[in-house]
Amino acid sequence: MATILVIAPAYEGHVGRTSLELLGGARRIGEARGMEVVAALLGKGAGAAASQMWQYGVKRVYVADHPSILLGELEAFYLASLEACRAANPGVVLLLADSVGREVGPRLAHRLGGGIVTECIDVQAGQDGEVTFLRPVYGGKAIATYRLVNFPVVVTVKPHTMEVPAEMPVSGETIPLELSMDPEGLKTRVLEVVSEEVTGVKLEDAPVVVGGGRGIGGPEGFQLLGELARLLKGAVGASRPPADAGWVPPTWQIGQTGKTIRPDLYIAVGISGATQHIAGVSGAKVVVAINKDPEAPIFKVAHLGVVADYRKVIPPLIQKIKEIVGT
Amino acid sequence: MEIVVCLKQIVDPEIPASEFRLDPVTKRQIRGSHALVISTYDENALEVALQLKEKQGGKVTAVTIGEEQATEALRKALAMGADSAVLISDPPLLEADDLGKARVLARAIRKLTTPDLILCGCESADWVSRIVGPFLAEELGLPCVTFGTRIEPRDGKIVVRRIVEDGYHLVEAALPAVVTIASDETNTPRLPKVRDIMAAVKKPITLLRMADLGIEPGSLKEMEGRIVLQDVAIPVREARCEFIEGDTPEEQAERLVLRLKELKVI
Amino acid sequence: MGIDWPRGIAVLVLTGVATAIFLREMARIYRFLRLGQGSLRVDRVGKRLLDLIVYVLGHVKVLAWTYSGVLHLFIFWGFLVLLTTILQQYGEAFVPGWSLPWIGNSPVLAGLQDLFILLVLVGVGMALYLRAVVRPPRFRSSNPLDAYLILGLITGIMVGLAGSRATAIALSKEAPPGWLAGAFLSRALAVWFKGFSPSMLHLVHELFWWLHLLIILFFLTWIPEGKHLHLITIFPNIFLRKLTPRGALRPLDLEKAESLGVGKVEQFHWKDLLDTFACMECGRCTAVCPANATGKELDPRRLHTAIRHHLVEVGERVIAARESGQAIDRPSLIGDVFSEDFLWQCVTCAACIQECPAFNEHIDKIVDMRRYLVMEESRAPDTILEALRSLEARGHPFKGALASRTDWAKGMGIKEVARDGPAEWLFWVGCAAAFDERAQKVAQAMARILQIAGVDFAILGGEERCTGDPARRMGHEYLFQMLAQENIATLERYGITRILTICPHCYNTLKNEYPQFGGNFQVVHHSQFLAALLREGRLQLRQPLNLSLTFHDPCYLGRHNGEYEAPRQVLRALGGNRVVEMERCRERAFCCGAGGGLFWAEERVGKRINHERAEHALETGAEVVGTACPYCLVMFEDAVKAKEAPFRPRDIAELLADAL
Repeated sequence: MATILVIAPAYEGHVGRTSLELLGGARRIGEARGMEVVAALLGKGAGAAASQMWQYGVKRVYVADHPSILLGELEAFYLASLEACRAANPGVVLLLADSVGREVGPRLAHRLGGGIVTECIDVQAGQDGEVTFLRPVYGGKAIATYRLVNFPVVVTVKPHTMEVPAEMPVSGETIPLELSMDPEGLKTRVLEVVSEEVTGVKLEDAPVVVGGGRGIGGPEGFQLLGELARLLKGAVGASRPPADAGWVPPTWQIGQTGKTIRPDLYIAVGISGATQHIAGVSGAKVVVAINKDPEAPIFKVAHLGVVADYRKVIPPLIQKIKEIVGT
Repeated sequence: MEIVVCLKQIVDPEIPASEFRLDPVTKRQIRGSHALVISTYDENALEVALQLKEKQGGKVTAVTIGEEQATEALRKALAMGADSAVLISDPPLLEADDLGKARVLARAIRKLTTPDLILCGCESADWVSRIVGPFLAEELGLPCVTFGTRIEPRDGKIVVRRIVEDGYHLVEAALPAVVTIASDETNTPRLPKVRDIMAAVKKPITLLRMADLGIEPGSLKEMEGRIVLQDVAIPVREARCEFIEGDTPEEQAERLVLRLKELKVI
Repeated sequence: MGIDWPRGIAVLVLTGVATAIFLREMARIYRFLRLGQGSLRVDRVGKRLLDLIVYVLGHVKVLAWTYSGVLHLFIFWGFLVLLTTILQQYGEAFVPGWSLPWIGNSPVLAGLQDLFILLVLVGVGMALYLRAVVRPPRFRSSNPLDAYLILGLITGIMVGLAGSRATAIALSKEAPPGWLAGAFLSRALAVWFKGFSPSMLHLVHELFWWLHLLIILFFLTWIPEGKHLHLITIFPNIFLRKLTPRGALRPLDLEKAESLGVGKVEQFHWKDLLDTFACMECGRCTAVCPANATGKELDPRRLHTAIRHHLVEVGERVIAARESGQAIDRPSLIGDVFSEDFLWQCVTCAACIQECPAFNEHIDKIVDMRRYLVMEESRAPDTILEALRSLEARGHPFKGALASRTDWAKGMGIKEVARDGPAEWLFWVGCAAAFDERAQKVAQAMARILQIAGVDFAILGGEERCTGDPARRMGHEYLFQMLAQENIATLERYGITRILTICPHCYNTLKNEYPQFGGNFQVVHHSQFLAALLREGRLQLRQPLNLSLTFHDPCYLGRHNGEYEAPRQVLRALGGNRVVEMERCRERAFCCGAGGGLFWAEERVGKRINHERAEHALETGAEVVGTACPYCLVMFEDAVKAKEAPFRPRDIAELLADAL
């Protein structure tokens, strides 16, 4: 019987929250098709995370604990993924469409016969067992629906697009994967890992994002946005103009050519609302737009709009949040 | 260094959403009167290749699968500085899926040259599937690095700066290799020099048919055995903005906070 | 009276030496000019001769700046009138007491001569006052030593002349009949020498006489060395000036040109090199330059002086290298002589050209160097490159525009040529009004007015391309010519002859530059069209607008095409309006900052030009700033937002539509 296999990195026993979201999608397909959800945790020291999988009802957890599977060593990750597939006999393999999955996913799919959907944002499983995958195409201008025809397929899932499922603890087992990997034989090797200083919450993970656009006028204005974001335990992002102008680091950029965010609340300040930017925030649950220009296209996508100069409205907003919500 | 850059010609991805139309039969965008351009990151890939050539010497070959009009994209690549250009064109190729395209490219590359490096854009600006690059690496049995922005040759290998969520990794890869290229400030595509544009008009473009590559039409759509594109639709936005009014900014701020509290987002 | 051979020969020898030095230097300069490109073709000789009379003798442009104009007029005319005294002096050198035949003894001539001695000295005094006391910033980069030396020399010539005349009068036993009556100044001065002994007086006279002559001869040798070369070069420079429309840039034959644009000084057109020798360093260009005024590096005077100095520095070596075929080591024109920033700060507003008394053409030189950077080197500021790439790919420079070319027209029932056939007028919308949300309102207002007036018009819609104005001014002549040819083909395919446009940039390019490529159309700017509709009574104004207004002249409508009245006629016709002019209006209007393709450039250095212009508008206290260009409009909107200025920028078409 084919399984639904979730593959996640678990370096030093740490599994990211976004990887847990994969279990949500996996469970949906599993329930529709009556298939078992299994997981493969890959990475040096991955075994320690197995219990986390059991917590979410995954009984069988394959573990590839190998000294070569380190952060960024995707060749090793790929070989371990292949081994996991050999052991788990998956019908559907789920990976995150992140820097790992977008490289490993297609390579794995090629080895498994070519079935793949990338950048999936939703899985729908009908009662008749029909499974479809949705993904944005044409820069978010359209949504494509793919139908699962035959096993196995690989699906890479955009982070923050699925819900972490409800916990349902089971007593599970760990199945170690036998890897005959020669570290010297790997064709690629990571020489250096450079992480940019990201203070506070990461943009992609933040439940609240305050984004600034051309209307902020300069780097100084972003300090005010930072104050608001800190108060809401969120992060600050930007549309393309401030990033291009060097007001903010390029890593802050949200949009088609930047990051895709999916916060509960997105506050767009001084952002006109170019399609390029909107493409990156379409997953936000509530969009608030603050802009002086009532004609700004951002109001066409915002749920709540405030027509005002941000310099005048953000300071009282900070004040009122402190008063009404508390810090 | 022998470098092959795979390009795709697409309909201008910068057109406004209001101009975007889909063909319900082919499930693809209708071109209309819009411009055809080289897909965004493919131009970055070409730029990386040209910079490597300038540093290391060698030859850059641009390859594309497309219709007759894709020669325009190749002319642009030649104008930017590619040494030769190859158009793989045959009607059945229009239907090819990512696996089919990767196979065709792999055959063409093997037939034409023995490259040290094959570069692709990290994604096409239209379908954004990010599949063909890694598939091509698998077809050719070569190491693969995705989302690289800079490539440094080092001791017969390359070091690729691969961008990741919170920074970058420096990844060493043995050659030959396939690298997919993302954009950064060092690989903004150059504006072709006018003399090169004029010279590019006269350069020959190699044309390959499926028969030249020994590819059967049946092998171009194998992915459909696993997964089928069922539908493509333009999403409808239901949101209508609720404006928070107020006589003073303070009043607006207070009403906004109360409304956000109601919506349980703060 | 016998002939004074020794003295005569001494004068001739000295004159010969000075002339030889002068001619050697002039020949050198001539050889440098010959390094330049292009050939000499002279058309419209009558017009050109007339120009010499009006602008050289008449000083019409020099007098546009009253103070310096008047002082220069005194000195220049003094120079002409006092040429007679130099002739007189050469006669006297051989024949003591000689005077010019016919007029030599006229008291009128003597009076004029004395008058101009006085006026030249007044002029020199005014010039000294201006330089030493007023010290306007426009003289900042001018060489003060050269200026003071020349003023000193002129003073010396006048002192020598007046002294020799006064002493001659004092020396003469019986007054020379006739001319003495007119020489009021010399007679008055002669009184000072009454007490001198005859021999002393004779000596003093000789001293003055030789002082006068020697300074003149020294002056002659000095002319080629500094800005006073304009004494000579102004004649050919004005005679050979550009008579084609100011707004039309010089076309470049892309197939034949050795260099696409100018990267080396000898690649300039020879007339551009002559310009630099005609520059008298008055600095009027720099004084009116909006980039310079907002703290940027661009200095249109330095554009000329630096090319001249560089040419003089490397000229001989370039000539030698041309013969030997060897490369030479020299400072680079772009990089060492001019920074790239310098070249990318020009808005091509033509304020400098408007003011230049020598009719120098600044824009051609800057665009020529941009051409080299863009076409030969592929170098330009990032945002400029981005706009060029967009122009190349999609025929408009607004990458990422949220609108299509025809979104603004939706639901207005506007004819499209491809669908409905050509109409009496083609409404050329332009990229700004098609893609910029704010400027779209201008297109809509104009279309509404045309519909109300019952004008039969159509748009090209998706077939319209950028006219190429930004590409050309960014230096991408190739892209410009591609766009121009494509547009001309489209227009000719539909048999279009009459074009109406709301963009002065499109207007200028269609009208003045398309004829270079065989595209000849009747092109009308909407200000002219609206003024005509109002004149003909085809529009009934429903309500007068009670607004206080000022008007911002778009550079490509005003200075480049001489249309200042039509938009004002429209504003006045709106009734009840007060039109308050800004201090810098009409010919002296200050650019909005968008011209020359700089709408797409980031303005990082100095104050933003549109902010400066918004302050000018603010000074008038007007509620509305009228304009007639979508780019000016957007630049003003931007400045109003940034400065929170209490006025609204509106296009004249929007204002008129409001009143209907």
